[in-house]
Amino acid sequence: MDFDWVFFIEIFVGGLMSGIMYSLVAIGFVLIYKSSGIFNFAQGTMLLFAALTFVKLTEGGVSFWVALPVSMGTMVVFGILVERFMMRPLANQSLLSLFMATVGLAILIEGFSQYMWDSAIHGLQLANFLDLALLDPVNMTIFVVDYVEWLDILISKFDIFATIVAGTMILILAVFFQKTRTGMSLRAVSDDHLAAMAVGIPLSRVWALVWAVTGIIALIAGLLWAERVSVSFTLVEAVLKALPVILIGGLTSIPGAIVGGLIIGVGEKMGEIYLGDLIGVQGIETWFSYFIALVFLLFRPSGLFGLKIIERV
Amino acid sequence: MAAGNPILQIDNITLAFGGVTALNGISFDVAEGEICAVIGPNGAGKSSMLNVISGVYVPQTGRVVFREQDCTRKRPRQIAQLGMARTFQNIALFQGMTVLENILTGRCMKIRSTWIEQGLNIGRARREEVENRRAVEEVIEFLHLQGIRKTPVGKLPYGLQKRVELARALVAEPIMLLQDEPMTGMNLEEKKDMSCFALEINREFGTTIVLIEHDMSVVMDISDHVVVLDYGAKIGDGTPDEIKNNRDVIDAYLGVTH
Amino acid sequence: MIYRETGTFITSYIEDRKLFPIPFDKWAMALFMLFMVFVIPFIASDYWLAAHLIPILAYGTAALGLNLLTGMTGQLSLGTAGFMCFGAFFTFNIMLRSPEWMNLPLALMLAGTVTGVIGIIFGLPSIRIKGFYLLVSTLAAQYFALWFFRSYPYFLNYATATVTLPDHHFDLFGIGETFDVDMASFEAKYLLSLGIVTALALFAKNLMRSATGRNFMAVRDMDIAASVIGIPVIRTKMLAFFVSCFYCGVGGALFCYAYLQVLGIRTFEMNRSFEILFMVIIGGLGSIAGSFYGTILVYEFPILFSWAGDYIFKGAFDTAVVDNVAKIMYGILIIALLIREPGGLAALWATAKQKLRTWPFPH
Repeated sequence: MDFDWVFFIEIFVGGLMSGIMYSLVAIGFVLIYKSSGIFNFAQGTMLLFAALTFVKLTEGGVSFWVALPVSMGTMVVFGILVERFMMRPLANQSLLSLFMATVGLAILIEGFSQYMWDSAIHGLQLANFLDLALLDPVNMTIFVVDYVEWLDILISKFDIFATIVAGTMILILAVFFQKTRTGMSLRAVSDDHLAAMAVGIPLSRVWALVWAVTGIIALIAGLLWAERVSVSFTLVEAVLKALPVILIGGLTSIPGAIVGGLIIGVGEKMGEIYLGDLIGVQGIETWFSYFIALVFLLFRPSGLFGLKIIERV
Repeated sequence: MAAGNPILQIDNITLAFGGVTALNGISFDVAEGEICAVIGPNGAGKSSMLNVISGVYVPQTGRVVFREQDCTRKRPRQIAQLGMARTFQNIALFQGMTVLENILTGRCMKIRSTWIEQGLNIGRARREEVENRRAVEEVIEFLHLQGIRKTPVGKLPYGLQKRVELARALVAEPIMLLQDEPMTGMNLEEKKDMSCFALEINREFGTTIVLIEHDMSVVMDISDHVVVLDYGAKIGDGTPDEIKNNRDVIDAYLGVTH
Repeated sequence: MIYRETGTFITSYIEDRKLFPIPFDKWAMALFMLFMVFVIPFIASDYWLAAHLIPILAYGTAALGLNLLTGMTGQLSLGTAGFMCFGAFFTFNIMLRSPEWMNLPLALMLAGTVTGVIGIIFGLPSIRIKGFYLLVSTLAAQYFALWFFRSYPYFLNYATATVTLPDHHFDLFGIGETFDVDMASFEAKYLLSLGIVTALALFAKNLMRSATGRNFMAVRDMDIAASVIGIPVIRTKMLAFFVSCFYCGVGGALFCYAYLQVLGIRTFEMNRSFEILFMVIIGGLGSIAGSFYGTILVYEFPILFSWAGDYIFKGAFDTAVVDNVAKIMYGILIIALLIREPGGLAALWATAKQKLRTWPFPH
């Protein structure tokens, strides 16, 4: 059979791009995991909440440049509230309890955001907004319909834009974590709560900060994702798809989240196109990413970049 | 007590984590029926040694022979089935269960009934529960735990938790008992109790005991044989009296003046 | 009668192991069961049976299954609805494709067993993978189940979306015809569900107070210590997956057969898995009775709330509002319970009983 290289590359690039979006969502998980050891199940609904807030604001006639900071502010307030009313009272509980609490938080936010706004499915044409907001004076529309042609393959400009935004976010976070004082205290907190408190790191402020930052990531990820999947409960499920990503990368590693995202993004598309053909059934992408993650985990139980745990007794 | 044949032979064990060598070419024998103390400063590799013996860690080189069977690559459960039981340095009780349930788990290797019989609560399963309970009650009496049977272990003070852990190990009727710092963090009274238990277990059931302990007076009093580790190497091996006069051991503990 | 244990002296180990050490509890339970079997079917209307009792029994079975795995053995699962889906589809196919003598209870057990085996397959990664990482495996089960039955319409007998479950599937050994009883009536379905659920709950209770149950909990609390004292950790985990998925499978089948009357894939979407997880957390992780308390609360709350809306506020709330308020309530309840009483409703109940036992002297 003649192998269609152009098609292959198109899928590959498409996979990489959806992969970077997975990475962005995954980084939200990793941030919280690193700072408190919790697997934050509410990440998906945070995306939904943030995106819904933004959508409802803009639907109410608020302009893009106002809606964005307002939604960000909302997410910061949200972060502070979560720290105050959930993290602090639960500080000494087992990790399983904390996980369950985030499950509770997830359903709480889901109910709340749909109660405040509504449960209808919202389309969010972020590309339109961008054209209006960024290029209005120039009178151009490039995000909506335009494609870049490269070696005979078409790549949507919005995808490129999303990739750039996601990539920038990831870079900023990486620098923040590795170089700044706050980033260092975050890492210290994740290693040992008590030790971090003993050297004077304000635990609750660090946690509030992490949740707030995660909220902002959720907003950006939510807006980028919403372009593809609409703002509704499907957004939550889309986030469950990011789960294999972090697990492949290892829950503790930002580079892991990036690599994991790319692996899943590409693997999923490839699996769908080539493996799907092979076994003659479509739609395997719903579970194929989990399968990839499982295979990886069987060889590296704490993920590719995760800390290898030496069990002590 | 007269030393019998070696029941446990440690032969040239080396264990490393990444770049850190925890144990470096350790060899020693433990004779049947003796109380063997493993001592050494912090970080000497004592707990790692116990973990290698009970199969939690697999050493890079060397052999562990227990009751004439090579146990180096056997899994913890298989070694337990050969008649080894142990306690842990940081208490490893099952926190969600009561004292009684914790001790009953120690009897798990005596269970013959299948889970279906247990679920239906018929015949063999019912009988076994009663038999196991009887065995557990004997140990509870021996270790004076009667009053706290139904207490969740998490609510017990440290000293009692250590005792419950010992009970869990004992109900398995082990041939060899490993104890990792059974008396650390206890007051004098509790230490005395624990030493008496060790001696009684050794005398009454003929159980061979390997224990790690920091309190030298206890070690010198109850053990027949002392092995000294320092920085992952063995620096002394002999009777308590020999160890007391061993130059290397004194140096390791008191520091060397050159 | 004062709720007391005084006067009850335990003289043998068998007695100490009894399910209901306090006589009052035993009699209360017996009365309750008699009431459920002999009174309820006669006094409860079809609406009560079909919209309250039967779904609670079906949900409760699945919740119990999840609790055995997550609460007792500490293996996180988000695949409950997936396993229910397997159970429901296998039951239907066994009934559809077997000779005359096949009957529903037997089919349920067979389907449960097959689901259990599938559970073992998806549980295999738990040998290597621990904690949160295991979520992938159970999520894979969830999505795989949906994809599988969507891709192979054979299992839905080539129906487009749902299949209505035929009445003759409910007939047991021709009892219906012989005695001229409607075996597909809600009363019959209720009694069938009640029988199965009672048997399964009793089995679970027995399992948990015997060696297997202790092994489960030992693996949950500290699996490395469990392996050192000789507990076969891998076998215990696999058994937990088998038993749990058996229960979930039967629960799923009851859900379709006794409650919905139709079989379809959409019944077992991801949301259902979460719903059951909430039931288990609210009811109490690691408690068999708790699984049912949680089921009742999570299932009944929206109904009560919308009823209150209709009667007190004259239809002020539409379904979306009820739905969302219920979600907010579960969320707050879960977080509040985890902060105040991580053992859930079951622990609250136990504390209340303990207080009653020592009343009026609080210590």
